[in-house]
Amino acid sequence: MSAISTEYAVEVSDLRKTYPGGVEAVKGIDFRVEPGEVFGLLGPNGAGKSTTIGMLTTTIAPTGGTARLAGHDVATEPLLARSVSSVVFQEAVVDRGLSGRTNLELHASLWGVPPALARTRIAEVAEAVGVADLLDRTVGTYSGGQRRRLEIARALVSQPRVLFLDEPTVGLDPRIRHELLDVIADLRAREDMTILLTTHYLDEAQRLCDRVAIIHLGEIVALDTPAALLAGLGGEILELRVDRDATASLETLRERGVATADAFVVGSTLTLPLRERSAADVIAAAAEAGLGATGVATRPPSLDDVYLRLTGSRIAETV
Amino acid sequence: MATTSVAHPLRIPARAPRRAPLLGALRTLARRRVALTAHNPRQIAIPLMTPILFATVIAPALKAALGGLHSHIDYTAFVSVGTVGLLVPLATAFAGLSVIVDRDSGAQRELLAAPVPRALLLLGNLAVVVGLCAFQVGVLIGVAALRGATFHVSASGLFWFVGAALLFTVLMYAIAETLASRIRQQEEYIGLTPVIAILPWFFAGALFPIGALPGALTAFAKVLPLTHVMALLRYGLVDPRGTGLHDIWGMSNTTTEAFLSLGVVVAFTVALSALAVRAFTRSAVE
Repeated sequence: MSAISTEYAVEVSDLRKTYPGGVEAVKGIDFRVEPGEVFGLLGPNGAGKSTTIGMLTTTIAPTGGTARLAGHDVATEPLLARSVSSVVFQEAVVDRGLSGRTNLELHASLWGVPPALARTRIAEVAEAVGVADLLDRTVGTYSGGQRRRLEIARALVSQPRVLFLDEPTVGLDPRIRHELLDVIADLRAREDMTILLTTHYLDEAQRLCDRVAIIHLGEIVALDTPAALLAGLGGEILELRVDRDATASLETLRERGVATADAFVVGSTLTLPLRERSAADVIAAAAEAGLGATGVATRPPSLDDVYLRLTGSRIAETV
Repeated sequence: MATTSVAHPLRIPARAPRRAPLLGALRTLARRRVALTAHNPRQIAIPLMTPILFATVIAPALKAALGGLHSHIDYTAFVSVGTVGLLVPLATAFAGLSVIVDRDSGAQRELLAAPVPRALLLLGNLAVVVGLCAFQVGVLIGVAALRGATFHVSASGLFWFVGAALLFTVLMYAIAETLASRIRQQEEYIGLTPVIAILPWFFAGALFPIGALPGALTAFAKVLPLTHVMALLRYGLVDPRGTGLHDIWGMSNTTTEAFLSLGVVVAFTVALSALAVRAFTRSAVE
């Protein structure tokens, strides 16, 4: 009978990475991921997501702090840490000259999966991610989406306790990207494992993750469930485009008690979380204050609003 | 920073960390390299062409034109063994190129994330290079014998020949691996290959005894590990009197000279292998 794990799947404490030359890629981040949780690191390129994954997979040496996978310290017990994890890298990392099956067999063998079990596992995961018919073809003949599916299958062959997905859909066309998101979402139902996902796509984080850490310039600026992060902005957002200085306009609305502290400006547009007030009330108050609105729209809040409020820029602008 | 903990319903049965036994992992890594190398048979055939041409065409032609070495040594056998000094560096240089391809567009990062010691990745490649070189050297010597080269085969001679060839392969692979780890561009690596793989061959007594070189170059040749390898290979298979060893050491006891040369080769091999592991590890982990 198997024991029940009591430790965190991923435990990161004051983790830092400063590259030679003084570039601080990760500035002392902390987070813990429960077994079975899907945890997202959300941020633009250069935020420190891939460096964090690199440290957790022991391909980047931390310059401070600690990180543990299933209780194993990545710095002092790297082999044990690697033995409980698998990773799907941001770029294609696969032997193109070999067949898909050989790629999966090599992974199984290096991760110590007994051959009989490996054969069963390969058949299962290949079916699950939709590459069963491709396995005996050379990987060099695969499309980008097929190759990415194969890499996910490969990572699953060893039944990792922690699966790292580093920007799993980057560079894929929209249709394949959505298919792949279905595959990843389906993994939760099929596999009892923890997933740590990095992405700069807000919809991915919102759809797949139990919790999201928003990372900006090497620091975690927010960490919560997507619902809780969105709830912080109320149920609706009003975007008000003005024909004058937007920052001064926002200040005017704040003085009148119309805009809350978490309202923010992007270009000439005021983004106003609506809570007690209705959109009509705010628009009327803006008109009373003499602010000429050239455009008005309401929409539900998104993680981009959360990111923007916390960092002052949109994720898409910094990607 | 706001946080909410997630009370996740799923509790995961703890799977004990699973790792492949070292030998099993080594076998897997070697199998992978063979699969990738066999995928391109040119990697086996092309390095063989030049040494075989030397052994079967150029050496007999030079012997016919110049009358050989004017000694007890068969010149065709002398040159055939000398071309091992070209064959092994070319084969290891190709292997080094494979490391760069692995890093740039292959599965190196996946291997680095595997629960195996990273030095094993080098050993896996090395095992295949050693096998490949053994095959190529065997073909070369066999073709030379068929062409009429005279070899002196004995158990002790084979010990020296195989030992020197093995150490030389490890040494040259260590150099190739170090360069592959430190050089980012394939083009730059390919540009350096002639300097590393071919240039020393001209000074190490591959086609003529080092005593035929000008004095300064003879002194230079004596510090090249390849010169010691050449002398040991010939001591083992061509010239039991150890003429090449005498040219280096000038001593009266051939066995002592052989052990001294072996010591030189071992020292270079150990130092360069350590450097290769360090270079690989440092390039693999940022």
